[in-house]
Amino acid sequence: MSSETSTSKTPPASDVHVVAALPSWQLFALAGLVGATIVVFVSRGQSPAAIILLSVVVFAAAAVGAAALRTLVPFVRGYEGLSVSIVGGRARAAIDREKTLVLRSIKELEFDYAMGKVSDQDFAEMGLRLRTRAAGLLRQLDAGAAYSTQIEQELTRRLAEAGIAAAPRADRFCTQCGTSATATARFCGQCGHRLETA
Amino acid sequence: MASLGYYLLLAAFVVCAYAAAISVAGARRRSRALIESGIGAFYLLAAIMAVASAVIVYSFVVGDYSIRYVQRYSDSVQPMFYKLTSYWGGLDGSIMFWVSLLSFFGSAAIYVNRERHRELIPYVVTVISVVEMFFLFLMIVHNNPFQTYLTESPTDGTGLNPLLQNFYMAIHPPTMYLGFVGLTIPYAFGMAALITGYLDDSWLRAVRRWTMISWLFLSIGLGLGMIWAYEELGWGGYWMWDPVENAGLLPWFTATAFLHSVMVQERRGMLRVWNVALVITTFFLTIFGTFMTRSGVVQSVHAFGDDPELARLFTIFMVATVVVSFGFVIYRLPLLRARNELDSWLSREAAFLVNNWILLFSAFFVLFATMFPTLSEAVRGERLTVGPPFFNQWMLPIGLTLLLLTGIGPLLAWRKSTVQNLRDSFLIPVTLGVVTAVAVALLGVRVWTSGICFALSAFVVGTIGQEFWRGARVRQRATGTDVFTALVGLVARNKRRYGGYVVHLGMVLIFFGFAGEGFKQKEEAQLKPGQQVKVGSFVVRHDALSITDDGQKQMITAHVTVLRDGKPFAEMYPAKWIFRKHEESPTTEVAINRGFAQDVYLVLATFDAATQTASIAVDINPLVNWVWMGFGLLALGIGIALLPDAVFSFATAPLPANAATTALIFLAVVLSQGVALAQDTIPAIFRSPLERQVAGEIMCNCGGCRLSVSDCGMMNCHGKSGQMGKIQQYIAEGKDHDAILATFVREHGGYDVLMQPPNRGFNRVAWLLPYVVAVVALLGVAFTARRWSRHEAAAPDAAPIDRELDARLEDELRNLD
Repeated sequence: MSSETSTSKTPPASDVHVVAALPSWQLFALAGLVGATIVVFVSRGQSPAAIILLSVVVFAAAAVGAAALRTLVPFVRGYEGLSVSIVGGRARAAIDREKTLVLRSIKELEFDYAMGKVSDQDFAEMGLRLRTRAAGLLRQLDAGAAYSTQIEQELTRRLAEAGIAAAPRADRFCTQCGTSATATARFCGQCGHRLETA
Repeated sequence: MASLGYYLLLAAFVVCAYAAAISVAGARRRSRALIESGIGAFYLLAAIMAVASAVIVYSFVVGDYSIRYVQRYSDSVQPMFYKLTSYWGGLDGSIMFWVSLLSFFGSAAIYVNRERHRELIPYVVTVISVVEMFFLFLMIVHNNPFQTYLTESPTDGTGLNPLLQNFYMAIHPPTMYLGFVGLTIPYAFGMAALITGYLDDSWLRAVRRWTMISWLFLSIGLGLGMIWAYEELGWGGYWMWDPVENAGLLPWFTATAFLHSVMVQERRGMLRVWNVALVITTFFLTIFGTFMTRSGVVQSVHAFGDDPELARLFTIFMVATVVVSFGFVIYRLPLLRARNELDSWLSREAAFLVNNWILLFSAFFVLFATMFPTLSEAVRGERLTVGPPFFNQWMLPIGLTLLLLTGIGPLLAWRKSTVQNLRDSFLIPVTLGVVTAVAVALLGVRVWTSGICFALSAFVVGTIGQEFWRGARVRQRATGTDVFTALVGLVARNKRRYGGYVVHLGMVLIFFGFAGEGFKQKEEAQLKPGQQVKVGSFVVRHDALSITDDGQKQMITAHVTVLRDGKPFAEMYPAKWIFRKHEESPTTEVAINRGFAQDVYLVLATFDAATQTASIAVDINPLVNWVWMGFGLLALGIGIALLPDAVFSFATAPLPANAATTALIFLAVVLSQGVALAQDTIPAIFRSPLERQVAGEIMCNCGGCRLSVSDCGMMNCHGKSGQMGKIQQYIAEGKDHDAILATFVREHGGYDVLMQPPNRGFNRVAWLLPYVVAVVALLGVAFTARRWSRHEAAAPDAAPIDRELDARLEDELRNLD
């Protein structure tokens, strides 16, 4: 059984290029397989359970190697600071989250109303309150515009870093304010004007 | 191998310390490299623990008896399966198992959330690492599982405790531990949120799923423990309020409370401080439960023995946890301020408040009652017993109230319900409940608690059925499909809600099974071959006694035929197994014939091989299997709630495939045990009502069971027969109930012979305090609710919504689900 595993799963070791291109964890998996094969060979005569467990030990040891590498690699590889993304977007994300919350509440209220759990009067009153709040949040989100432009810029920059050309952008513009829009957008991100869907 | 294992533990400790330190440094200096390295170190810890676990299991398999732990908990004739599970059979190994599980679980949680909650992750790594460090430290200095014998090593082990050589016992601890360990993850995220100050709701999202998973494991763990107790201990019941069982139940209560109150925060942004506090309390209770059972502070069947050093270490850790955690809560209070507003008492928020109050009170009560003997010993130097009667007296009304709330809660709307709505939605469920109550009364059920329980169950089932039905109809009208598709769509759209309802149904089944306890019948009879005894509608005939041996143990089996209405009902084989290495404590192999209506539960109590006489205890346990089915349904419900959206996204797989399979496997496992293993009628051993009553109140002094005389499963035990004899003697002397109890206390020299403390002196605290706490907490809830409801009516903004914005809103709403 064990010899079968080692022959069928071990890639051809002669092909050095393939091995060099492997992600590190695959190297360790390979090492684990080789180690397990050796263990099986050395400990012939022991009970199958013991041999299986020894193989598990070897595999776990390979995992230790991989994890150790994972611990050390970050020091070699450069990372740019992560502070950029967190701080600016935080408040906005919170508003966005609150908006979803309010929208969900509206949905829930409509459902409860349909289930007959809320009276007409309450439904009207609470519905209005929630909708007003949601509209307020939408306005707040609009006020912090230029956000999508920021994202676009960041995206282009990162793509350029990775050596990938940015995807061609849809040449759609809002008929009201002239802001560019993506191909699938149904409303303008700037002024909320309804866009003609092609 | 032993030294390799020890070095691995040392390495794990170092890696842990590194992960904790580097993560804090990384987070403070905002260095991605350091943080990534910390995450890597945590994975490394998991890998190291995997190697160490494999090493110790290997030692068990090859029988390396130079390692003390291996020598003490296994032997060469043990079946392979139990050799593997011996890993967690003792204290040292179970700590190591705990550490391993926490590192695996933690790695998974970190891996899943590393991008989504990037700002929290470094502190999550730190918190989990610090918890791990404590347990690793414990192993290194105090409970090293790899400790070897210094001089000559024994050639064979002493073997795992026979009681633990049971299928359910092998899988019960891992599930339980997974539940316990899993609850560390919400704690770590909560603490990370407190430390960083990112206290919006995002950490809750990360935590919700993990809490649900842990809760599932905890519930199933408790269920498996019950099945084990039922099958292996042989006293006919499944829950005896043993401290270790209670230790598992405590975090279950608080985690349940959290799962409910988290909805209030998500929906309404309320209860922020409360939720953080609940997460911390839950984690604390998991640690406290471990402490309680591992250090010998309380007496219990499961406890591993007295260990003051361990108790001291645990105390330090617990105090530190509490101080640091709540210190951060206080420090962050300004950020936790929430918009609390309660529109009406007749709202779901209010129902959740009451639910939390009851669950927290349950947790408090169980904790208090479990610790009371220790408390009493510390204050008055008198050891008492707080047994099942005391717990049952309290938990029965609490449980029924909770069941009632399960039915009421879903019927209330968020924010506000009006009289009209109430009448509309309560009509069917209440009718169902009342009809059941009347039917139960007409059928002549005289156990009123069970009757109430049946009625409430019907009420809750009515509620849930109505929720599904009405929801499906609404959905059907909205989408224009058939009812079934609408039902699936309904569940898919709000998996957590409807999964939760399924869990509620599971709870109803469990309660339904509990109610069966009220109709339990229990008899005992000494039978020669051919003789029979009548219990309820069953006749139990003893046919023969056989004695066999399989090398590891001697097996004495009684061959019994059970007849019902004169027709053969089942062949059953109750047995006693005497393990070679543990001859002083033979195990009871119960024979159970399972059925939907009742279990016939036979125990071979004593035997006389020469005359082939067997003394057989017969229990008729109605409805027990509904409890196990309830646990299956509970797993199914959680499965639905946890399913990823993708499962529902294509119409070809309308049913939650995984969940159903999981539950089916669970049910199959439970029910496959259903086939039972084991002529003149003689009367069962007669017991007068007084004798039964007293026997239920006096503790058996056999020294291990901690049950009342009437419940002790070891029926040939010297303790029980002696006590029974005394009771009979006193009754013959004409003593009344109180006099007999007084005599027992005098002769025993302490009140701990009674199953519950007498209601006087300091003990009155035990009887009074729960009332006081309940009332104070209720007042607290009422006060907070009043304060929240006294907000000024929020006037809607005068500014009308312009049409443009309104259309956008509608569009967003449409896109929401």
